[in-house]
Amino acid sequence: MNAKEIIELNNEKRKELTEENLAYYEDMLLYIRLSSARSEQYTEEVLLELLEHIIQAQEEGRSAVDVFGNNPKEYCQDLIGEIPKETRKRQVRFSTYIILQFLAIIAFVNGVIGFVTYYFFDLGSDLTTFSIGSGIAIVIIDLLILYLFIAIIFRWLRNSAFPKKKQKKWVEFLQIWAFSTLSIGLFILVIYLMPDFGTTISIPTISFAAVGVILYILAKMINKKRNLI
Amino acid sequence: MSLRSQLLKGILEGCILSIIYQQPTYGYELSMKLQKFGLSDVSEGSIYPILLRLQKEKLIHGEMKKSEAGPKRKYYQLTDEGHEALADFIYHWDSIKEPVDRIITREGRK
Repeated sequence: MNAKEIIELNNEKRKELTEENLAYYEDMLLYIRLSSARSEQYTEEVLLELLEHIIQAQEEGRSAVDVFGNNPKEYCQDLIGEIPKETRKRQVRFSTYIILQFLAIIAFVNGVIGFVTYYFFDLGSDLTTFSIGSGIAIVIIDLLILYLFIAIIFRWLRNSAFPKKKQKKWVEFLQIWAFSTLSIGLFILVIYLMPDFGTTISIPTISFAAVGVILYILAKMINKKRNLI
Repeated sequence: MSLRSQLLKGILEGCILSIIYQQPTYGYELSMKLQKFGLSDVSEGSIYPILLRLQKEKLIHGEMKKSEAGPKRKYYQLTDEGHEALADFIYHWDSIKEPVDRIITREGRK
């Protein structure tokens, strides 16, 4: 069974847990899954084992606390320490997949919006003019911002497992919203502030959408071949 | 780490190898067997980090299989290296067990 199939089985099996055990287990799940760069296969296999164990203990009248103790965070850290690291190859493939998909969406949305605003609202031009040098610089810096964004969100989610005090939902929402807005703002700021350098070229705006579609298909192919997500 | 858990760590690994050697086992069954043999102080969950370590050291191999009762479970069995490690453990254990017993019954219980 590959990781994807195990995750599906896990989703199904989790429904058998009592409310109390589910809360305990889902914190473990979140914390362990978000630990960085560990083998996904091993991670999912052990997560399913823990789940099966709780389910069986539950049938015999013992709770998750009885099985894993009062300090699940420390237990999870022990466990994570023993999970093998993900291979470099898979890490690179996975990053490539995320980057391609991200670029695909940006290119596609850019192309379609430019096309629609020009042909239907008579705004802008059907050509997009940009400098190759600054274009590449923008893509690289924005990818870095994306990386930081994902890394920070992961860490933040991870720290939200095993809360000492449950935070109010709306406070959480506000925090994520503010952080996302800031990131998107930073994103656009880079595009505006980047000075022009390198050769300037003009291409039809709609061709961005085509590039987006091609990148998307590429990303899907990588995913399908390697079963990443 | 307490003396008890330090002492137990290596011994527990040997016990787990031995139980898996007797019969391919999955996590829950393994922890129940340990308890039944009297290691009831070992918390149930503590076997999973050890199972991961033994896999990383290639002493055991886990495979998802359909069990008799129905659900797919990860069954562990010893690898060739695992057999060697178990033989090593038994050898060392035998050479420690009796001297330690002799020492503590004579000296430690005054």
